Amino acid sequence: MNYPELGLREAVDLVRQGQLKAAEIVESYISHIESTDGKIRAFLTTTFDRALARAREIDGKKEKGRLAGAVVAVKDNIVTRGIRTTCGSRILENFVPPYDATVVERLEAEDAIIIGKTNLDEFAMGSSTENSAFFPTRNPWDPERVPGGSSGGSAAAVAALEAMAALGSDTGGSVRQPAAFCGIVGLKPTYGRVSRYGLVAFASSLDQIGPLTRSVEDCALITSVMAGFDARDSTCAEIPVPDYSADLREIPGRIKVGLLGETSLKGLHPEVAASYLRIQEMLAGLGLEIVHLDFPSWEVALPCYYIIAPSEASSNLARYDGVRYGLRIEAGELADMYVKTRTAGFGSEVKRRILLGTFALSSGYYDAYYVKASRARRAIAGELKAAFDRVDFILTPTTPEPAFRLGEKQDPLAMYLQDYFTVGASLAGIPGLSIPCGLTTDGLPLGLQILSPHFSEARLFKFAFLLENNIKFKNNMYGINNRGRRKNEN
Amino acid sequence: MLSMKVDLEHLSRLACLELTEEEKDLLPAQMEKIIDWVGQLSSLATGEEEEEASPGFTLRLQEDEIQPSLPQAEVLVMAPDKQGDFVKVPRVLKEK
Repeated sequence: MNYPELGLREAVDLVRQGQLKAAEIVESYISHIESTDGKIRAFLTTTFDRALARAREIDGKKEKGRLAGAVVAVKDNIVTRGIRTTCGSRILENFVPPYDATVVERLEAEDAIIIGKTNLDEFAMGSSTENSAFFPTRNPWDPERVPGGSSGGSAAAVAALEAMAALGSDTGGSVRQPAAFCGIVGLKPTYGRVSRYGLVAFASSLDQIGPLTRSVEDCALITSVMAGFDARDSTCAEIPVPDYSADLREIPGRIKVGLLGETSLKGLHPEVAASYLRIQEMLAGLGLEIVHLDFPSWEVALPCYYIIAPSEASSNLARYDGVRYGLRIEAGELADMYVKTRTAGFGSEVKRRILLGTFALSSGYYDAYYVKASRARRAIAGELKAAFDRVDFILTPTTPEPAFRLGEKQDPLAMYLQDYFTVGASLAGIPGLSIPCGLTTDGLPLGLQILSPHFSEARLFKFAFLLENNIKFKNNMYGINNRGRRKNEN
Repeated sequence: MLSMKVDLEHLSRLACLELTEEEKDLLPAQMEKIIDWVGQLSSLATGEEEEEASPGFTLRLQEDEIQPSLPQAEVLVMAPDKQGDFVKVPRVLKEK
């Protein structure tokens, strides 16, 4: 039996019923990762010994947790006690955190097993994982192409069956875009749904931790465990968390779906546009009511994001000064030590964003850029809120194009345009879920993004489950079909 | 919004960064292009609404209570240089 083929839900059920040993699953994953990851390079650090020890502990337990035996990879900007956490940066290359992120604590409390830490664009800044200070990760569907980013290592690990699920972080699309590029499911939860405690901050008003999984059901299950109030994150909402994976088959009432009007779709890759039209036909076939929406502010969401996110980053990244942890380049005086340390420790995209944010916050430009962007953010959020008075869900392509080749986007601005469809939900704080919706003629996966109102994850998962079962996308990675998904369809 | 020559030297001083020769070559054009592009925002009419982002739910203030912190020894392990229970840094003030 090749255990990496097992879906998360299926594996957890077997382990909980005592029909399968978590240690056997972990051993099978270790050998699969050892034979596969040389080509993919999803992991920065693997934690095989720790994972095996945890698995044996779980096998010996009478009462097993809700995620017993789930093999999970964690993006390397989420801190793990005793396990190196680099953020894909030289400045944290040897950083071993003395505490766990809340999400890690919660997953492990339910007996999930962490198999390793995954590669990312440095400090989650990028859309291809090429900005990692260590090495790029490759797309399992075509190793000449990027897996997306910044959670590219997490997405590639799940797509290549090197993990049942992975944690990522999404600031402007960093879970959803790599999920789309790698043919898997990825959720950016509502801002405040999941604790950010232990997520290394990039842009604090936008960052959310989200899961990347092989199916909507797995995504719902793992979100149920991750989400909920945490006193250690003051922006974490005190709103109860239902079991999102229960009653997924329930159709969430009469559904009205909002689709983007033509103006929002101009300049799209032709196969992305064609796929979006096919989805529209499918929705009509399901008898759902379709409303075409226009978002005048959508055009400026991207520039708005690229003022706010770098501004917050320039402030958050001021903490890397070589004093208390991380890299230090010695100098005779303190101020020189700061400059030398930061100059040696940060890569070029991180420096670019720090400078951009410094510019937007600097005297003389603050009102024209940062204040203007903050007001635009309110306008964009208001427009989405008004749209949700008319429809239950909004569907968009997740990305403007399928996975591109490594080295293809040298111009930073061309890379920023990747986030065209994803930043709206980030600025408004609403959830966004990407599900795979088909392949291009070259065999590259495409993603469909589903947006819904604040804290409506329960309905979002039900609707996504309905679409998933009608799209019938297959993860054909290495000729292995996703058995968990097939089972769910019956 | 205005297109301007970005004063990179000033910005990098504010950000505590030094630029390499290559960055000094590439960055000015890149930054100006990005700043012109984000300048599209000026085309959007916005009112005088509050500029602070609101999380969309009520936040609760916490009691001002002393809570245990991370163990000092475990945190100090990560310090690049230390002396006793303190993080050690180079001289703060320059000599005249």
